[in-house]
Amino acid sequence: MRLKHLTARVFGNGGMIFAAVAPVLAVLVAFPLLFVILQAVFPDIARGIFANPFSRFVETLFDKHLFHWTLNTLMLGGSVVLVSALVAVPLGVLRGLFRIPFAGLWDVVFLVPFTIPPYIAALGWIMALQPRGYLEQITGINFGGFLFSFWGVVFVMTLNVFPVVYFAVSRMVASIGGRYLEAARVAGCPPMRSFWRITLPLTTPAIAASLLLVFAMAIEEFGTPAALAARSGFLVLVTGIEQRLSDYPIDLPGASLLSVILVLIAMVAFMVQNRIVSRRDFQTVSGKPGAMRPAELGAWRIPVVVFFAVIGFLSAAMPILSVVLTASTRTISGGLAADNFSTDNFAEIFANSGGAMEALGTSLLLGLGAALITGILGTMTAYVVVRQRTVSSRILDFLTLMPNTIPGVVVAVGLILAWNQPWLPITPYNTIGILVLAYCCLLLPYPVRYANAALRQVSVSLEDAARVAGAGGIKVFFRILMPLIFPSILAAMLLVFAVAARELVATILLAPIGTKTVALFIWRQFEQGSVGMGMAMSVMAIAITMTIPVAVAIWARKQGRLF
Amino acid sequence: MKSFKTVLLAGFACLALSGTAMAQSVTVYTAGPGSLIEKLAAGFKDESGIDVNVFQATTGKVMARLEAESSNPMADVVVSASWKTATSFAKKDMLLDYTSANAKNVPDFLKGPGYVAQGISALAIAWNPKSGTPKPEDWTDLTKPEYKDLITMPDPAQSGSAYELVAALTSQPDLGWKLFDGLAANKMIVPGANAQALNPVLQGAKAVVFGAVDYIGLAQAAKGESIEVVFPKSGTVIAPRPMMILKTSAHQDEAKKFIDYVLSDAGQALVAKTQLMPARSDVKADRPLIADLKILEVDPKTDRKAVLDHFAKTFGME
Repeated sequence: MRLKHLTARVFGNGGMIFAAVAPVLAVLVAFPLLFVILQAVFPDIARGIFANPFSRFVETLFDKHLFHWTLNTLMLGGSVVLVSALVAVPLGVLRGLFRIPFAGLWDVVFLVPFTIPPYIAALGWIMALQPRGYLEQITGINFGGFLFSFWGVVFVMTLNVFPVVYFAVSRMVASIGGRYLEAARVAGCPPMRSFWRITLPLTTPAIAASLLLVFAMAIEEFGTPAALAARSGFLVLVTGIEQRLSDYPIDLPGASLLSVILVLIAMVAFMVQNRIVSRRDFQTVSGKPGAMRPAELGAWRIPVVVFFAVIGFLSAAMPILSVVLTASTRTISGGLAADNFSTDNFAEIFANSGGAMEALGTSLLLGLGAALITGILGTMTAYVVVRQRTVSSRILDFLTLMPNTIPGVVVAVGLILAWNQPWLPITPYNTIGILVLAYCCLLLPYPVRYANAALRQVSVSLEDAARVAGAGGIKVFFRILMPLIFPSILAAMLLVFAVAARELVATILLAPIGTKTVALFIWRQFEQGSVGMGMAMSVMAIAITMTIPVAVAIWARKQGRLF
Repeated sequence: MKSFKTVLLAGFACLALSGTAMAQSVTVYTAGPGSLIEKLAAGFKDESGIDVNVFQATTGKVMARLEAESSNPMADVVVSASWKTATSFAKKDMLLDYTSANAKNVPDFLKGPGYVAQGISALAIAWNPKSGTPKPEDWTDLTKPEYKDLITMPDPAQSGSAYELVAALTSQPDLGWKLFDGLAANKMIVPGANAQALNPVLQGAKAVVFGAVDYIGLAQAAKGESIEVVFPKSGTVIAPRPMMILKTSAHQDEAKKFIDYVLSDAGQALVAKTQLMPARSDVKADRPLIADLKILEVDPKTDRKAVLDHFAKTFGME
């Protein structure tokens, strides 16, 4: 009897799903991350030796740069969060509440930044804005001073990550339904007031969850701050991690230890987020008819479209233009002179179609695989977290955020340490399976956060009603919950697909022998000095990657809903 | 759910099996350039019929993967861009003691017990002739006002050869840190690793790289980029690229044959073709060779951390 009571508590609401999800997450996320922590504590763990624990702590933690770099990391993360919120929350709210001209187009455009690898975007901006860059060659002015500064980094990073917030907020606002606003209107509440008092507060889970993702991404990203602000002396924690892994002698324990600091910072952010979203109840989808018809913008049509267009131009068109220009010129030093334009780089990609096409195929498959697995797993995890609200589910929740706060290269080291153990009977290491594991581990946070925010809106009474009507757990999940939260999850899966199809940092270290991916192909071109050819491949990869979101957007339009 | 996991497990099992089925093959972990190892692998396969499995990344990433794999090593041969990796691996007794018959014409300072150079790069000044600046002849020229705001340098904390250059130049009695103080006064920027330092010079945002990797610059020039590689007359550092066979290798015979091939006439010709200096002194190349350069030595007792700290302080990178 007692035991039954206990199991009921542990496996209570969604307990079956907990039992299914927890072991998978243990293998996918906890196993490699455990090795990151072990590596931080035991310097010789790679040789299977547990000697000299903590022997590297003093040297690493008393590094005189550490305090400064931590402060810089916090400042950068905070600023990117702030600017992303300022840009993306209004965009998302507008998209959710109003009938925006070319709405489907904007959704697709705002996915583009995710398909551009961050180091390509940074290089694109450099080549566009630095002195004698493309902008100066065309108009005579350059913005090098701005670009190579702290705010330049914030600008570029925000343009890379704001879609995370945009998609979360727009899906959430749209699903709140018009019933509450209708009630407010009937009660005589002016529209602006009902927005501030109803819509915005009810969107809090989406805003908080997506900003948490933005924060995690901003503190672990290396390429952009390194390319733009290192020269002006702005260094972050990831700089220290990258330095420890960039040339001989490398320092795995030091890099792992600094990553643990990043995890601790993220943990604080996570707790702040949890505080915000568990302060009150956000269940608004309760089954009463409340289909919302998007409102008309009226006189605001033009300014709003201009707002969407400017952000779309800056985040998608600008970097791609710069990439296309680089890809279509013979030499970089030749600049935009008429005789320097050529299609050689593209021709070479096609001539090498074997390697390039193989890489594209592999990357697309990896992207689709990662999107499917993380979509399913993320939804199940979020369900457990939202419905159970126990300590163990809270731990599960943070576990799925952790990989996103650690630089990909350190997660990759953890994966090798974990999966190359000689005692393992079978291992995905040195097969393409390790890349699937890596991408799922790194990208699981997107679907988890998105589904988490969406599920908080869905009233438990819906599930109870279905159960009373005789539906089993699985049926309730797929027939009641999934349709309601699907737009959010689909958006998250598209983000996962876009990122996985171009992931570089973990891939460099983990790629099984002989495997080619798009990012590796591009990186090797850069590394050999063929920047133009690398850029040509980027253009093709972005174009091909975007076909999937475009197809989804068209399908969603036919279905008459948001994708 | 259950069936989903079964499918996943079955998939991994298939992949794991396919991964182990490698008959006559040798696994090489190598630093760039990628085109060189591709050509070497193809040439070796033609000659011996042995497959070469290549993992190629930067020296840092190669070493990180090796280190993380050390409980269950996968590599047979390692080619790095940092000589120190070889000497320290040898000291840790990780290397198979093997001297290739083809290493006869490799100068003594480019080989040791268990390691031998594949090729050699040197650091140089990479200058954009379209920059409107005078052509620099020596390191100290770059402290002149003509180059103010126009110099870049690879970060010695991220590039081993750049560190060696700083260590070598600052230990010159007549130079010390004076040269780097002058460069700092000239607002030299340190934008990252080697590629990041070269890019602004190609586009013209900057005029000159202090300490560019020579073969990359030479290859760019060959492609038609406006870039000229200048070997400073007061001397420079070289970075021999060691090849070594790990003691743990399960394919030692194939690994030895691979080293023999890289040091053969055909292999060394491929090295020379990528604008690296061949390791063998009797192989010709279309570029200045070791005998043409004045080489600066680095005292192995130099305190690396102190040099890097001083450098970071000089350029405000703290």
